[in-house]
Amino acid sequence: MNPLAYLKREYGMAVGDIPVWIVGLAIAALWIMPFVWMVSTSLKYPGDVMTVDIEWLPHRVTFQNYVDIFTKYPVWRWTLNSIIVAVSATFLCVMSGALAGYALARMNFPGRRLLFVLYVASLMVPIEVYAVPMLLGIIKVGWANTYQALILPSVGNVFSVLIFRQFFLTFPRDLEDAARIDGAGHGLIFWKIALPLARAPLIAATIIIFVLNWNNFLWPLLAVFKEEMKTLPVGIAAFTPISGTATQLEGFALSMAGVTVLCIPSVLVFLILQRYFIQGISSGALRG
Amino acid sequence: MLSYRSQKPPVDWAAYAFVALFTAPFLLFNIAPIVFTAYLSFMKWGIFGPPKYVGVDNYRKALENDQILISFQNILLYGLTIVPGVLVLGLMAALYVNNRWPLSSVARVCFFSPYVVSATVIGLVWVWILDTQFGIANHYLGYLGIDNIPWLTSTDWSLYGVGITSIWWDMGLAFVLILAGLQDIPGDMYDAAEIDGATRWQRFRYVTLPMLRPVLSMVITLQLIATLRIFSQVYVMTSGGPASSSTSVLYEIYTVAIRNQKFGLGAAVSMMLFVVILLVTFLSRRLIREQST
Repeated sequence: MNPLAYLKREYGMAVGDIPVWIVGLAIAALWIMPFVWMVSTSLKYPGDVMTVDIEWLPHRVTFQNYVDIFTKYPVWRWTLNSIIVAVSATFLCVMSGALAGYALARMNFPGRRLLFVLYVASLMVPIEVYAVPMLLGIIKVGWANTYQALILPSVGNVFSVLIFRQFFLTFPRDLEDAARIDGAGHGLIFWKIALPLARAPLIAATIIIFVLNWNNFLWPLLAVFKEEMKTLPVGIAAFTPISGTATQLEGFALSMAGVTVLCIPSVLVFLILQRYFIQGISSGALRG
Repeated sequence: MLSYRSQKPPVDWAAYAFVALFTAPFLLFNIAPIVFTAYLSFMKWGIFGPPKYVGVDNYRKALENDQILISFQNILLYGLTIVPGVLVLGLMAALYVNNRWPLSSVARVCFFSPYVVSATVIGLVWVWILDTQFGIANHYLGYLGIDNIPWLTSTDWSLYGVGITSIWWDMGLAFVLILAGLQDIPGDMYDAAEIDGATRWQRFRYVTLPMLRPVLSMVITLQLIATLRIFSQVYVMTSGGPASSSTSVLYEIYTVAIRNQKFGLGAAVSMMLFVVILLVTFLSRRLIREQST
């Protein structure tokens, strides 16, 4: 079959579209080349990295850099810290956000409007503005270098409330009324009916907030000054040739192995659930 | 029945329990620190002794501090570099993917993916790409006859090195927002334009662009605010250097408060940045409203 006719019938493409189509695909491929270069460098022997000729496919491959980052530096511990912090902060944020979003959408109580305005208004004050004074408070109560100091400030992420509120606003009233006639209170309705039906916002909120928490940089940088309590992004950041010393000793092969490990969880979550991810981002931010 | 309808619905007291779980950490870690920052900005406070009230002294010191003034100038330059870059590239990528040609879903993943990785990944990978001697950027620019550019190690280039990196990192968000905007444009508008004999450019100019205006305005606002908050890339890639050429307001706050332990001065600069963010938000909202009427 004629490929041109096929492209025209299935995709409505004219002959003149084909060069644009191919150039676009080439640019998309070019756009992820930094990731390819990162993985490629991480698989090279340190001596093969700083070369005048560019070698996209290493002529000899080693996994020694990955062994080195886990044995010479506390990367296991940083990974463990990151998992503990990101998982618990995400769980608390999504559950409390689902409850609050449900209450804002379906329940009637004095102060509802005020609370919603407060949530939305707080979006205008990024954490960076108040991070240092918050750190002083955290140090004062003796929480420096603790998990609770890393977790609790990430729980109050308004995005979680907004995404659930938006979903529950469009939730069919009939289901709720039927349950109410059977004598169910809001607690039961939330657990048995509302939450199980809120699969899409639940997945979207969970993965987006997990990725945000996993990548979180400024607050963990401030809140922790003990090596063994660092999170992975903060720990690996010391492999930069400018502010850190590790790369000066070891070169880019080691630091590229470090960042490859660091981006695996967020990239995996994104690739597997990208539909939810992109829908959640575009619907959540559009109202922000 | 009528009288029942006109009554106010009963108050659900349980609602307070529902919102408490979120509101408690929210008030403690999102609202209280803002109040504390405002308070600290009028105090002199180092590591020793209690805070002392000094009025607007910190604000005056901030305005007399060259480093801090440079950092405000720098975030303006970052804005002028990153916002147009993200907007134009995001729009082009979205228009391309919206054609739904074969493999466009793969292109969508490619264009969005840098947005999901952390500043550490972005920063370290681009420090390597932009390396003056062995980086691939200078290697391929060499084929065009361009001499090695000291992207991150010279005062002339460092801000643009960090800026290009930020465009690559942030473009994904603008891209998906514009793509969602494109998909909201009703198809019959294009059909009508086609019947009128509009060319592809005319359809873009007179249908797509006006319909996209609210989304584009929102993207500009979001990206502008994100750029005013630029920190992690600067920290990882250049530490603000060389000679403060790539520093940002947040990097200066970090230096003043954490390295030099001048907490009051740091809080004052934070409040100044907050006012700038508020101004930008309100001004752009206002512009959007005026345009749409």
